[in-house]
Amino acid sequence: MMLICIVLIPLLAGVIAWAIGRQNPGAARWVCLLACAIDLVILLTLWNNQAAMAAFAAGGPWLMQVNVPWVPALGISFHLALDGLSLLMLILSAFLGIVSVGCSWTEIKERVGFFHFNLMWVLAGIMGVFLAMDLFLFYCFWELMLVPMYFLIVIWGHENRIYAAVKFFIFTQFSGLLMLLAILALYFLHGHATGTYTFDYDLLLGTKLGSGAAKWIMLGFFAAFAVKLPAFPVHNWLPDAHTEAPTAGSVILAGLLLKTGAYGLMRFVVPLFPQAAIDFTPVAMTLAVIGIIYGAVLSFAQTDLKRLVAYSSVSHMGFVLLGVFAWNRIALQGAVMQMICHGLGTGALFMMVGAIQERIHTRNIEKMGGFWEVAPRMGAIAMFFAMASLGLPGIGNFIAEFLVLLGSYQANATMTSIASLGLVLGSIYSLWIVQRVFHGARENQAKLPDFARREIALFASLIIALVGLGFFPQPIFKTADPALSKLQQLAVAGQGAVQVSEAKHSGGNS
Amino acid sequence: MEYFFLLLFTGLAAVLVGAGLLTSYLVAPHRPNPLKNSPYECGEPTIGQSWVQFNVGYYLFGLLFLVFDVEAAFLYPWAVVFRQVGLTGLIEMGLFLLVLIVGLVYAWRKGALEWV
Amino acid sequence: MTLLDLVALLPLIILTAAATGIVLLMAVCRCHRTTALFSMAGLGLAVISLPFANSMAPNRAVTPLLMLDTYSFFYMGVMFVSSFVIAALAYAYFEKQDGRREEFYVLLLTATLGAAFLSASSHFVSLFMGLETLSISLYAMVAYTRDRRDSVEAAFKYLVLAAASAAFMVFGMALVYAEAGTMEFAKIAAARGALEQGNHLVLLAGCAMMVVGIGFKLALVPFHLWTPDVYEGAPAPVTAFVATVSKGGMFALLLRYFVLIDVHQYPSLMFLFTAIAVLSMFFGNLLALLQDNIKRILAYSSIANLGYVMIAFLASGHMAVPAGALYIAAYFITTLGAMGVISVMSTKERDADSFADYRGLFWRAPWIAAVFTAMLLSLAGIPLTAGFIGKFYVLAAGEESSRWIGIAALVVSSSIGLYYYLRIVLTMCESAEDEAPVSRPSWTEATVLTGLAAALLFVGVYPGPLIHAAETLVASIL
Repeated sequence: MMLICIVLIPLLAGVIAWAIGRQNPGAARWVCLLACAIDLVILLTLWNNQAAMAAFAAGGPWLMQVNVPWVPALGISFHLALDGLSLLMLILSAFLGIVSVGCSWTEIKERVGFFHFNLMWVLAGIMGVFLAMDLFLFYCFWELMLVPMYFLIVIWGHENRIYAAVKFFIFTQFSGLLMLLAILALYFLHGHATGTYTFDYDLLLGTKLGSGAAKWIMLGFFAAFAVKLPAFPVHNWLPDAHTEAPTAGSVILAGLLLKTGAYGLMRFVVPLFPQAAIDFTPVAMTLAVIGIIYGAVLSFAQTDLKRLVAYSSVSHMGFVLLGVFAWNRIALQGAVMQMICHGLGTGALFMMVGAIQERIHTRNIEKMGGFWEVAPRMGAIAMFFAMASLGLPGIGNFIAEFLVLLGSYQANATMTSIASLGLVLGSIYSLWIVQRVFHGARENQAKLPDFARREIALFASLIIALVGLGFFPQPIFKTADPALSKLQQLAVAGQGAVQVSEAKHSGGNS
Repeated sequence: MEYFFLLLFTGLAAVLVGAGLLTSYLVAPHRPNPLKNSPYECGEPTIGQSWVQFNVGYYLFGLLFLVFDVEAAFLYPWAVVFRQVGLTGLIEMGLFLLVLIVGLVYAWRKGALEWV
Repeated sequence: MTLLDLVALLPLIILTAAATGIVLLMAVCRCHRTTALFSMAGLGLAVISLPFANSMAPNRAVTPLLMLDTYSFFYMGVMFVSSFVIAALAYAYFEKQDGRREEFYVLLLTATLGAAFLSASSHFVSLFMGLETLSISLYAMVAYTRDRRDSVEAAFKYLVLAAASAAFMVFGMALVYAEAGTMEFAKIAAARGALEQGNHLVLLAGCAMMVVGIGFKLALVPFHLWTPDVYEGAPAPVTAFVATVSKGGMFALLLRYFVLIDVHQYPSLMFLFTAIAVLSMFFGNLLALLQDNIKRILAYSSIANLGYVMIAFLASGHMAVPAGALYIAAYFITTLGAMGVISVMSTKERDADSFADYRGLFWRAPWIAAVFTAMLLSLAGIPLTAGFIGKFYVLAAGEESSRWIGIAALVVSSSIGLYYYLRIVLTMCESAEDEAPVSRPSWTEATVLTGLAAALLFVGVYPGPLIHAAETLVASIL
């Protein structure tokens, strides 16, 4: 019931915001802020519930779940379930929800009600994706989060928004349809083999598939998640969508939407098709490494500040892909950590760009420079997030990237070595931002008021979170670990005996 | 094989018609005069062109006539088998006529029967 | 003819009586509202009589012409409800117009009757009767706004092409009859076995010619040429009818016919229909990209949609029949909703079919825009709308019997198709300070649109009951 509430609260808040937004935009903002805060509080209480966490770690299948039949004729159920991984992602969602409502406080002045309606529904869709354990339901949430996101970009986006929004929608929808085909194929193969036709994740786990079928079905899922992640050849919707979206949209896109892809890989691709995933590992790792390097190089070449940050996302998410396909404990922990830190850090960078654009009405780096002298607080904060992006020790990102590299080194040393180059490139473009925007001569004479209290508060919360993760990552590991090791066991159970020993070996090292 | 005869029959029919036309064209005398070339209109000399607009009322009457004409054609076979089809037949014919009567009433009320 | 036969025929009888009754009513008093209400009452009664007829006289063959089974009653129900909605839309639409409006409802009822006849038909004669009853009523309906040039042009095109395609169809029937020696579907299916040895070239030629007639009615490529013009020219409620009821009857018939003669035995026919389906999907979606008129876009989108549903035909598994039924039901709701919006937005002079009419609709009339968006998303197959359930089922049916060509075409072409649905949505999102505010929809229009949107979401969110109904059809048809 609690799980339904978590999804329902933002949905309701969205409707209320739309209804009252016309008369009273301020109230709409507060309603949404409150809704996210309530969600966050609920989730944190859950997280704090030591007894339940311990029981889960000891071997309960889920921390919490609801399972009601939805369309029994087809074996579809309304199955929401929570484990450590989902819990972390949900907390991130609720937190970034608050941040995104906060950062659009002054940016969005038109159609405030409808804006918040879309924002809340995107959020609810994303939370649904993290919770759904029925593949049909998962697909529904997966598609559902696109529509409000599309509206966010189309209505409140920047100059080239229509192109970006349509590209985003068609990319994701097409890959989504491939996933739907894969889901259906899995459904039928499972049904033919066992006689029970079901979309339930728990039941579909461990379906015996021929290697050919498994490969194709796995690719269907991988296509959808790779587009969202985004992995190298299908990433090119992302710079456009990120650049044209309003700040809150970019924060949600970078912070949460991309994570659904990574989450999907962890939750579905490897556990459902362990053998096919292992066979696919070299390809996936290559794509990841190409993404890391390519994203970093391209982001260095941008003149549009927002585009720069967008390409850096491609690079950072490459580490997640690398970590997932290394598929050992360390790498997975690193990937989860990277998802969280990238969500916070890149979200903050997008807010920074949004704040600059709100003030000087351009995102062109050439027209910036010397901002530090007029806006020192802004400069200092930007400095911090640039450091986070390049992976300075003491900040969460460092831990994440370090663990991913450590873990995947065991799996594939060559790839990992190349990937680590990404860190070097990362520090180049991160410092480049600080250098070009905040140092040097002042080119732009537009007025540049420094951050006000609301913005300071938002950024401060993000800084605290990132530093906290940097110094005390243990709670995250502790929460994610049981879930991840369960996923690993599932994958192992599905593989041949040869792979079992290998997985044990990598498990023992952690 | 049976279709072959069908084809043969069709061909034969075409040849026959063509032969008739051709023979009359070759054999008949050709002596045109104005009276022969004029259109036939009840023996009267024609007045004006044949491209004249008819009053639309003709068509309405024509349509209504057609409906009742065909109805009459339907009534004869029904009358022949009246004893065999019995009461059911009577009811069905009654329904059929009822629908037509409704149509007539409609046309009447709409003024289709008035000559403008 | 026994009493049970009459009970089975009850829905059709009610419809006929209502049509005749309206003619009489018009002779007595000319009142638009009364006529509309009368026709809606007739359709409503017919819908109510369906479950009654279905339970009292289940699966009954009335004369060799009609097979009144659960299958046909399901389609009749869907079509009657659609006609009911169209009658309500037409009432609001023609209230804005001058001239004689009452006759429209007679045509609507007879056209619906023709479509219902088609869905129950089990014989070439009833097929042709139903087809002509439907078509002849439609000619007049398309031209109903006869002071508009487009309408008359569209009606003329429809008349000529429909007559030509009907001629093909009759010729095809004659060929099939010549070979099989019967006009009953069931007996043709039975005769097939005997024909297996001989050459069934004539039978195939006959079927292929009938495909022309069927393809025309369903607006499948390459028989789709009339579609955009007729959609554009006809008054919006009639367009809604052409897009839904007029296709529904033929669709039901085709599915029944194909299941009966077991089309999978004929690789050549399978190839023909796969080609038609794939072509329809691609042509429909690609040509829709080029249009600048919303009615034309919807016309091409309907071509594509019928292409999708052909996959259900080609699928041989037990999901084929329910997939077809579900898709049609979902497609009806969606199309009625979209056309309903156009009808509501239309004025006395012209139908609201240009992009300019919808610019900034989200801010001028949020509710209408929201309904339209929901309908477009449903056409695009986004989850939690009826359209998704239909597409899902069609995909499932196709995948179950491995129709990979059709499925691949569906996935690729529907992704292309997204673009033009999004284009309409985009137009509605643009800001439009200079556009005139939309006049408030009448309460009839508001009720209809709200009802359709509710139905769309209900089927999308809770498809259980509809799926159950569709699944029971399988038992009745086989």
